[in-house]
Amino acid sequence: MARHRREPSTRTLRVNPVACDGIGICQHVAPNLVRADSWGYPIVSGQTLGGADKRAAEAAVASCPRQALFVVVAQNAPQPR
Amino acid sequence: MTARLHLVAPQAPHASPSRPGAAPLLDAVVTYPAGQPFPVTSTATHDLAAHWQHYGDRPQATGRAGPQLIDTIEHLALAGRGGGYFPTAAKWRAHLRAGGGGVVVANGAESEPASAKDAALLQLRPHLVLDGLACAAEAVGAHSTIVWLHAGAHASHASMVRAIAERRRAGLVEPDVRIAVGPERYLSGESSAIMRALAGGPALPEFRRVPGTSNGVPTLVHNIETVARTALAVRPGAPLRTPTSLLTVATAAGRAVVEVAGTTPLWQVLDGILGLGATAAQQAVLLGGYGGAWIDRSTFEQLRADEASARSLGVSLGAGVLLPLHRESCGLAQTSAIADYLATGSARQCGPCLFGLRAVADGLAELVELRARRRDARRLQHVLAEISGRGACHHPDGAVRMVASALRAFAEDVRAHLHGTGCQHDGIGGFFPVPAGP
Repeated sequence: MARHRREPSTRTLRVNPVACDGIGICQHVAPNLVRADSWGYPIVSGQTLGGADKRAAEAAVASCPRQALFVVVAQNAPQPR
Repeated sequence: MTARLHLVAPQAPHASPSRPGAAPLLDAVVTYPAGQPFPVTSTATHDLAAHWQHYGDRPQATGRAGPQLIDTIEHLALAGRGGGYFPTAAKWRAHLRAGGGGVVVANGAESEPASAKDAALLQLRPHLVLDGLACAAEAVGAHSTIVWLHAGAHASHASMVRAIAERRRAGLVEPDVRIAVGPERYLSGESSAIMRALAGGPALPEFRRVPGTSNGVPTLVHNIETVARTALAVRPGAPLRTPTSLLTVATAAGRAVVEVAGTTPLWQVLDGILGLGATAAQQAVLLGGYGGAWIDRSTFEQLRADEASARSLGVSLGAGVLLPLHRESCGLAQTSAIADYLATGSARQCGPCLFGLRAVADGLAELVELRARRRDARRLQHVLAEISGRGACHHPDGAVRMVASALRAFAEDVRAHLHGTGCQHDGIGGFFPVPAGP
């Protein structure tokens, strides 16, 4: 029988566009992850967060006055060994 | 428009009293002349007696029949007809996996202003709609059903009230059905907006972290045509893979709804409705609705009334709308009017949509009025790329798709407008009238 190991999960930073008011603090807290569009609203790349990016993402989530940012954790599919 | 109408007879695939599932939805063209809310057609409204005469009793889907019904729907490959073509059986299975029960909604808030197919079904075949709604509810264990309509849809509303009363008087055994009404806004027909309104909130889209979930009562939302086709699909003789399509041809003179065999070339549908040779006089066709795509005439002439054929050419029938543009008309002007309407119809909840669609509409207006320079055209392209996918619903995505396709299809006119000379189209044939408000 194959043995399964718990695989790492992938994290991505996402924005709830209804809750977001384009205040822009996230862009200052995590400039590598969030940039502004033509009207100051956040564009998040959707890339997988690694290393220091994970901490920056958590800081951005905590910094939002509208609690519009969140991190999605997706469990990778387990691979048999 | 009525004077130039030629009946496009739908193929009646082996329909007979013992095979009611093979009968067409609409056996005649249904026209809505501009400014007239009531249909003009040679087919009669089916009251309950006529409905039974044509289609027989509704097969019930209670108990063991429920899973069998889902298998049948899956086998027939019924797909959603609001534009998404999502497999209906898969939607029901997902609803059941999430616990089942709840409410089934037939979405009659046909928020695609150019489309009239759902209104035609609500007004002429109300019992097919109500049969399909009851079957869907029984199949997923829902105890109540709702027909969702726009506040201003008086003809459809009256038809539903009459039909529901008839069924009550006849003592039909089926889940509870009621009518719920939403505001006359473009986005009142969006699924999450409906769920939000039914839960007591505003009829505006809701952001979901996990798409397809809802926080309240499990709610299944289906397009009216999907529900009507369900009613046929559960009856004997229903053919595989839905061999017909319900299309709307929309022009300045009005709209015509017609059911045709999926093998019918779309140019034949246009010629059939507008007169022989009409397609040859067109420059392009907006396919699918306001959130669809402009197709140049030569590509259009390769299309059939079948979603698979459209997808193989990289386009979609969407809500089945054909909005032809005469060769003497300016496609940018028509697109500009539609873009303005889409911008005004924003729910105004998400920055990229609220500001982005307005910037797109203003940019197009500038272009049409010969006030735009090359940097303005580049800016317009930049905005289109910036806003797609960044709203809570797909409204901005549809608008972007439509405008981007216009800039490609009418590229020569864009150059002429940027040059300051204008495209020399004087608008013979008129434009499809775009509603003023949201």
